[in-house]
Amino acid sequence: MSVLEAPRSAILKRSARFQVSRGMRTILGALVMLFIISAIFAPSSVSKGAVLGMLPFAAVLAIIGLGQTLVVQQGGIDLSVAGSVSLTVVFVTKLPDQKDNRLLYAVLVAFVVSLIAGSLNGILVSQLGINPIVATLGMSSLLYAVMMIVSLGISHRTTVLLNKISSNLTLGIPNSIYFATGAVIVTTLFLKMSVAGRRFESIGANARAGRTAGLDVKRHQTSAYILAQLLYCLGGVLLGGILTQPTAYQGDSLVLPSVATVVLGGTSLLGGRGFPAASAVAAIFLSQLDQFVLSLKVPYAVRTLVTAMALLVGIALYSVNWGLVKKKILSVGAGKKVNEISHG
Amino acid sequence: MAAHLGKEKHLTRNKSRVLKVASSIGIAALLCASSVSTAATSSAAAKPSWCGPKKITMAFTDGFGGNSWRLVTTASGKAEAALCPSVTKFYYADGQGSTSKSISDIKGFVAKGVNAIVVFADGANAILPALTSAYKAGVVTVPYRVTVGGKVGVNYNAYVGTDFAGAGKNWADWALKNLPAGGNVLFLSGPAGNSQGTEEAAGFWKVMASHPEFKKIGAQPFEATNWDPALTQKVLTAAIAANPKIDLILSDFGPSLVGALDAAVKTGWKVPAIATSDGNVLGCFWKDNQATQPNFKLMTVSTQNDHARLAIDWAIAKATGGKLPGTVYPSYVFEDSVSGKPSAVQCRKDLPGDVYLSAKMSGDEQAKLGK
Repeated sequence: MSVLEAPRSAILKRSARFQVSRGMRTILGALVMLFIISAIFAPSSVSKGAVLGMLPFAAVLAIIGLGQTLVVQQGGIDLSVAGSVSLTVVFVTKLPDQKDNRLLYAVLVAFVVSLIAGSLNGILVSQLGINPIVATLGMSSLLYAVMMIVSLGISHRTTVLLNKISSNLTLGIPNSIYFATGAVIVTTLFLKMSVAGRRFESIGANARAGRTAGLDVKRHQTSAYILAQLLYCLGGVLLGGILTQPTAYQGDSLVLPSVATVVLGGTSLLGGRGFPAASAVAAIFLSQLDQFVLSLKVPYAVRTLVTAMALLVGIALYSVNWGLVKKKILSVGAGKKVNEISHG
Repeated sequence: MAAHLGKEKHLTRNKSRVLKVASSIGIAALLCASSVSTAATSSAAAKPSWCGPKKITMAFTDGFGGNSWRLVTTASGKAEAALCPSVTKFYYADGQGSTSKSISDIKGFVAKGVNAIVVFADGANAILPALTSAYKAGVVTVPYRVTVGGKVGVNYNAYVGTDFAGAGKNWADWALKNLPAGGNVLFLSGPAGNSQGTEEAAGFWKVMASHPEFKKIGAQPFEATNWDPALTQKVLTAAIAANPKIDLILSDFGPSLVGALDAAVKTGWKVPAIATSDGNVLGCFWKDNQATQPNFKLMTVSTQNDHARLAIDWAIAKATGGKLPGTVYPSYVFEDSVSGKPSAVQCRKDLPGDVYLSAKMSGDEQAKLGK
């Protein structure tokens, strides 16, 4: 090791991009806690069958959450997840008509349409300055309209090949998990190691500063929506294979969980640094939470309450300044002591 | 003589002409009469008793029309109305899942002056005021399938419901026959608290009240799946993990089970007996797995696409002056893998999975709807 390299690697080690984020530490801790609680209160939810059943859905949510993370870190939000995933599922089930040799064509069509949808989202939000909630909600409706034209809302059985690709196990792990892991690695490497990724993050952290530095802010913001759509498309393709007979509205239930993974992963809804790996862990957390409450032998209403409480605790871990709370509690305690002394 | 003969000949010729004309008129008249009577006979044969003589226009509204079941149901309703020549126009509107659109659809048809309106009441009590105003405007108003509150004769002319508890009873009767030792029963239905699942569960457990060998497992009265394949898969995975012994699965939407069953089978799980509603995809799943799954007995009740037909019949009968049918659509058994009665398990691999072979409309016709 040369004299010059030593301080550089030391600097890199201290650099924020190579440190485990607070979000990751928190969500990993929460996940471990959730598994312990699951094992105590609903042991069946951590059995091999239950975990293997949960993981494919966690993988899909993780991939979709990654897309949402990219958009959110640019200060946006993407509500077109519902339309995008639903349309992709319809493409990959209806177009092949259960013929494996037409699957590739269907997947390509889905990706091309996602590319167009993402570009439109990006143009509407970053170039035309339309509020992202309005623009992406409109896009979702547009994608639903295309879905209705393609399928009339009728669901179709998936092809055997797609079912195998998405659901089969390799080395005891569902294939969808490999796809999700690949997506996390690629996204993380892109954000943390590539020049484009570093620019992307810096614009998310402060668009005005990025503009001053001569970066093309609008182009980077547009790219966030495009990359997000491509990730939703990948999630939709896998979901189309995991569910043998999916409905034409399969993306409906994924909008809020996709935003929840971002928040639980520690990415601020106001934009800034993004934590894709933490979002992916949050997806496992949310899926295991689903499995846990389903396995609790309690009425439906109690299950909903447990889910709400868990999310509340998860959000509170970030949004509450626990150091300050501790200080205040201590100062109140100290104040009491002072009072006791003065009154005594 | 010759002249006379000639006159006679002329007269005879004239006579024969008259006779020819008369006979041709007679034959033509006879032919016409016979054709009229044929037409009258055929229309009398085709015209159902619920179709009266008064000419009407009518509307059929859906709260949500965007899935295959609804598409078949709507097409069945249209086909039924077409059987009655007194219906001069048949309008359809899809609420697209929006209660406010459903309400404006109903109001729009009333303003248009339809004589009768049949409403798939997805909006439940929320659409009661729109139904009431239609009824008060003199439109024959018939909500069906989903209860809307209100009263017959005050808010609408009739509510054409179905016997959901009857489906539960049919499942229970079959279970008693085919699972003599009893067992653990898991029931999967739609959204939490939906009236269909609640009534079906009540119908099932009423029969089982005197059979303690059948035990409830999972959330009661049913596990909520929203009839969504993804949630069904998660719920079934959790239920299998929590209950190593499941002997009977009840479900009120059979096709949504297939993905979950398929995933569970891959983990080595043995499919138990299933009592549910029919769907081509489910029938084919049974055919594909029956050889390797000895416990997989299947019974289905009809998924009731033809419920719409009864509601249409009633509304037309009331508006045209025909004979009123009943207002409850019965639950009837469709397939039974054990007895083969009334039908063995049906599978048409050449048709899409979401075709309902219990419907009056043929599977091929249903498949064309989605093209």
